[in-house]
Amino acid sequence: MPKSLRNFLEQVKTQLPDQYVEVRRPIDPAKHECTAILEHLTREQKFPLVKFVNPKNLRGEDSEMPIVSNVYARRERCAIALDWPVDQAKQPLSLEYSRLRDEKISPQVISRDEAPVKEIVLRGAEADPALLPGVLHYEKDLCPVFTMTLIMKDPDTGIYDISFIKTFYKGSQRLGCSIHSPHLERILDKYEKMGKPAPVVNVIGHHPAFYLGSMALVPYDNDDYSTIGSFLREPLRLVPSETWGEDFMVPADAEILIEGEIVPGHKELVDPFGEITRHYQAQCLRQAMDVTAITRRKDAILMDIFSGHHDHWNLGGIAKEGSLYRAVDNKLGTVTGAHIPYSGCGTLSCYISIDNKRDGDAKLAGLTALLENCHTLQLVVVVDKDIDVFNEQDVIWAVNTCCDFDRDITIIEKMRSVFTMALGQKKVIIDATRPLDRAYPDCFKLPDSVMERIKLDEWIEK
Amino acid sequence: MEKIFWVTCPKCGCRYVCDYNLRHSKHQLVCPLCKHTFYDEESPEIDDR
Repeated sequence: MPKSLRNFLEQVKTQLPDQYVEVRRPIDPAKHECTAILEHLTREQKFPLVKFVNPKNLRGEDSEMPIVSNVYARRERCAIALDWPVDQAKQPLSLEYSRLRDEKISPQVISRDEAPVKEIVLRGAEADPALLPGVLHYEKDLCPVFTMTLIMKDPDTGIYDISFIKTFYKGSQRLGCSIHSPHLERILDKYEKMGKPAPVVNVIGHHPAFYLGSMALVPYDNDDYSTIGSFLREPLRLVPSETWGEDFMVPADAEILIEGEIVPGHKELVDPFGEITRHYQAQCLRQAMDVTAITRRKDAILMDIFSGHHDHWNLGGIAKEGSLYRAVDNKLGTVTGAHIPYSGCGTLSCYISIDNKRDGDAKLAGLTALLENCHTLQLVVVVDKDIDVFNEQDVIWAVNTCCDFDRDITIIEKMRSVFTMALGQKKVIIDATRPLDRAYPDCFKLPDSVMERIKLDEWIEK
Repeated sequence: MEKIFWVTCPKCGCRYVCDYNLRHSKHQLVCPLCKHTFYDEESPEIDDR
């Protein structure tokens, strides 16, 4: 059976039943009710996958389509998505992600009759996104959004590019697209120069590996359908689209697809939207997408990302960790850990541990990390190999005890950043490794043999 | 890094951020709370520092 969102949900229910919650009471996602539940759970330090069984659609009617959100909020579920052991969800997961990024499995074309996403086809005036249960996330969000990916196709090479882009519901058959992906911008430029509308497809629900694969940092000329096949560990099944036929192939096992065109020069106001950094993205003019068709499974499930929370941070952070680890390892050969923490919203900062043998290696590690992920990363902290980069308390301890703030903080000016942060266009490297040029105390520890011998349950009565 | 400015909706008083490309532009802004459309000059309070 090809991988799909619904068989992933069954896996989670079986393997991690405590991490799966259903809300059966009727709920209106366009009145912040879904995100209010997710926010309450977050404040209680609970991060289950939540299925909202009975939401309203954007017309205020009972929708037959449930919503799932918070899918990626725990690394264990990301491991399940990649067919990886749940007890290996820290560094091994990010290294496996990095390995999958470099593999490819070519897609497989199937017939329309076999494609679940063609079970219901709406064209023309019937193709109204208001039939979907779109989610309004935060108080000042301009309108409900569909948070998942967009697919575009290079008109010259025929290569498909998939990027994690949200679309804003702007009224009957029109969506605003907040395209900020360098690859999609390049494709858009080509269509604009030709004076032609750009075909675009919004994928709102698929197996979670599909979206994890869409986050891979790959070159522009990469065939993203093949990369996603690697993350699915099977060929991505494709079927001709409704609007362009075989000229634009679309994922056959998606839950919901919105097909449309971006007409050159047509703009829509989009944002504010509560983004990954927990700030509102500023209102701006972006591309407008005229909807041409909506196709879906007859029992489609809409997928949403709880933006600016663990769900969003893991989706981006795990994708970057493995790349950073390998980039620093290629340069130095001494990396022992790389982690993108929640305190940096899964994108702004990273912690790197190295087996530090030479003066200057820590700064090199920091520079390498910044160059690998230059658009969003703004802070790199480099620590010794005995510091667990997944333990933020230990990392900050290293900054407090090993860092000479006069010498060990490097500020690099005039490096572009995507986000509006107080740091502006600066990047920072903190060398929190123990000084090598002077005598420095070591940390206390207990003898390994004693720690092995003493088992708590043999000493402490329950 | 994007430059932004704050506007206040002249109808409901909602304060929100806009991209600086919309400052003094011919495009109307839309209040996210009440959906009122207005030009930035109509805002009773602007912070474009």
